[in-house]
Amino acid sequence: MGVRRRPDTFTMRVNPILCDGFGHCAELAPELVHLDEWGYPIIVDGPIRLSVPAALDSARYAVRGCPRQALRLEYQRPARAESPGRRRID
Amino acid sequence: MLALTTPYLWYTTRATGLVTLVLFTMVVSLGALVANRAGGTVVGRFEINELHRSLAVAAVLFLAIHVVTTVLDSFVPTGPASVIIPLTSSYKRVPIALGTVAFDLLLAVWLSSLAKARLANATWRFLHWFSWLAFATSLVHAVTAGTDARHGLGLVVVVVCAGIGAGAGVWRVLARPPRAAGRTALSPLSGSPSSAPTSASSGVPRPPRSPSRGPR
Repeated sequence: MGVRRRPDTFTMRVNPILCDGFGHCAELAPELVHLDEWGYPIIVDGPIRLSVPAALDSARYAVRGCPRQALRLEYQRPARAESPGRRRID
Repeated sequence: MLALTTPYLWYTTRATGLVTLVLFTMVVSLGALVANRAGGTVVGRFEINELHRSLAVAAVLFLAIHVVTTVLDSFVPTGPASVIIPLTSSYKRVPIALGTVAFDLLLAVWLSSLAKARLANATWRFLHWFSWLAFATSLVHAVTAGTDARHGLGLVVVVVCAGIGAGAGVWRVLARPPRAAGRTALSPLSGSPSSAPTSASSGVPRPPRSPSRGPR
């Protein structure tokens, strides 16, 4: 009720229409992005915890470094007020 | 107009003009490297891109100094309008106008890159092609308006910059990666699989088209 919870996870998404396979994201965020045989990115599944600052940092570098602006970050807020830390098993 | 009669503004204009030319040569060449997907083994592709962006900021700063000192300096009467509007300078009307045109084109490139996140990618790319035009115009501007560009070390700098820029332009067209022609290697636009590079471009070996072709 009116309480605006902070997001606790994020997901990196690629726009496959814009992506031209420059491969900068895989260099900037190697723990989040793998390249397929043709050099297009495969992004790791699932929401990533914001409590891991290194992952968010490299994701931001990848978003900023994309020559086609094809990457974006989506932040997810916790669904429930109680025990947000146990909402997801990872 | 006090203190604007010193010769140092004029010296600054000339020096920063040449430095700006060198910096923009580097920016344009690095941009061609990024667009043609150079790097990835010894130097990261993102590193070339970062160098391209950082040097572009430095080049714009030097260009700003070059323009501001030219207008402030009272040794040559250019007038503040000639920063944006071509053919308004009473000193070297056409050569200064070339510099004005190059400045306007670069303004479009720079502002569109600042607003890149808000623009459609096709719009940004279209505007970014203007940098080649701006570079060529600024070379002509350097030769025609420049005091130092027609003899000695200045001439050497201009000729080397023109050579590097022209080489980068030719290489940009001739060495386009085949990947840019189509969406993927399986796209009908990308040509036959035998002509397409297999492992050189991505560093990852490509799986065979048909598994029955032979053992691997």
